[in-house]
Amino acid sequence: MSGASSRGRAAVLRNRLVLPTLGAIVLLAAWQATVTLYSLPIVVLPPPWQVATTLVDLFGTAAFWRSVGVSLYEFAGGYVAGVLLGVVVGLAMGESRTIRAVATPVVESLRFIVPFAWIPLTVLWFGTSLVGKIVLVAYAVFFVMTVATLRAVQNVEPTLTRVATMLGMARWQRAVRVHLRAAAPSIASGARAAAALGWIAVVAAEYIGSSAGLGFMITNAAMSLATGVVIAGMIVIGLIGAAVSALIAWLSRTRLAHR
Amino acid sequence: MNAADRPVDHPGAAAMPGGELAFDRICHEYATQAGCIEVLRGVSFDVSPGSVTCVVGPSGCGKSTLLGLAAGLITPASGEVRWDRAPVTPGTNLHLGMAFQQPGLFPWMTVHENVAIGLRTRGADRATARRVADEFIATVGLADFRHAYPSQLSGGMAQRVGIARALALRPRLLLMDEPFAAVDAFTRLKLQQEFKALLALHRPTVLFVTHDVSEAILLGDRIVVMSQRPATVLREIPVSREDRNRASAAYARKLAETLECLGVPSDGGSE
Repeated sequence: MSGASSRGRAAVLRNRLVLPTLGAIVLLAAWQATVTLYSLPIVVLPPPWQVATTLVDLFGTAAFWRSVGVSLYEFAGGYVAGVLLGVVVGLAMGESRTIRAVATPVVESLRFIVPFAWIPLTVLWFGTSLVGKIVLVAYAVFFVMTVATLRAVQNVEPTLTRVATMLGMARWQRAVRVHLRAAAPSIASGARAAAALGWIAVVAAEYIGSSAGLGFMITNAAMSLATGVVIAGMIVIGLIGAAVSALIAWLSRTRLAHR
Repeated sequence: MNAADRPVDHPGAAAMPGGELAFDRICHEYATQAGCIEVLRGVSFDVSPGSVTCVVGPSGCGKSTLLGLAAGLITPASGEVRWDRAPVTPGTNLHLGMAFQQPGLFPWMTVHENVAIGLRTRGADRATARRVADEFIATVGLADFRHAYPSQLSGGMAQRVGIARALALRPRLLLMDEPFAAVDAFTRLKLQQEFKALLALHRPTVLFVTHDVSEAILLGDRIVVMSQRPATVLREIPVSREDRNRASAAYARKLAETLECLGVPSDGGSE
């Protein structure tokens, strides 16, 4: 019994800690080997340890945290707006045949214009302000959420609708308390995918036209050939994206799962 | 306001009397992409107050349409459905309970919440809903599973909750859409017995759709046999107490009569 459980613990340790660390080490070793083998100058590709020290230095500067703050602010503003609007529109499309008929051509044509295609226009309209990024993120997230919500609502088990009607629920009660709630786990997985897309949109928009944020910090560093800062910034972007995704996954697991 | 004055407050007390349900020359058709499909052609029968009428017929003959008509969810193309002599329109019959082939429990709610939500929706206060729900959950033998989620129940248990949810509404009209069709044969027999005992307590008017003729004989006071689509009533077969004894010759005769009416010869069609 205790042998089995200690074997179980060993397996968890191996799968959760040892093997992932091994993967990271292989990546870092390949990076270091590339730098050493080709004797690359620091401007082209700095070795991992130097990026690590740059990262630690960055953590000590207010400018870095301001950049993180700006990017997260743009992301959060656009994400919340996009998710709320997308869920409302998706639910309305799922509930009403008329709304579905009106909205489907709009949604189906616009959602294939990737958010990045809008960047020149958002720069033209909003300049390098934060508003442009927020709009862009909201746009990116909105279509993912609309489609995810519509599909999720349409896939709700038909018996639940009949039960809601039998119990005497009004149409809006049925929509919100039964359809939306039953669809919530699928909507949440859509929200997770939308978060990744939204975060990518923020950084891409900042690369092209901005005066603040992580993307701006990176392009700025690249222009002054501070390659260590560029790579450190990229790592931070990756970490924040993973953290946001994990947070949403955790929320949906703990709040929405059907036990 | 004194909650104790409300009828819903005394679930175990005197039964709510059932009302009369009448189908009067109902014709109905569905528009599909392939054109119009006529499902019901002049269907008439009555379900007297507090009685159980089982509807049997080939699949796709419009049995479930009858339930939708009785609930006021479907308006017939012609003819009239009446509840207590008044025409049924959407939302008229607020004394309705219904159980389905799939239990249709809300998976994010506990057993207790699933039974209580209907009472809350129909205006019972929180305390009343809680008490009535608990009582009906106990009636179907699931008191220990009050706080379980539907995913933790077996198929038979989930179906019991679905029936408790319908009965907790104290329906005067109970509509059953093949509620025992999806459970295993042994569980089905047990559920049928339990259901019969519950009906004896509450005496609603019951319209029970099934494709299981033995179930119709066991539960029904009368069997309405429907034809292929477009469906008409082929025959109304009364069922007596004696007919329900599975070991009796009367049961065998009733079974043979009903099956024959459905086009299944009693010799099983052997050569």
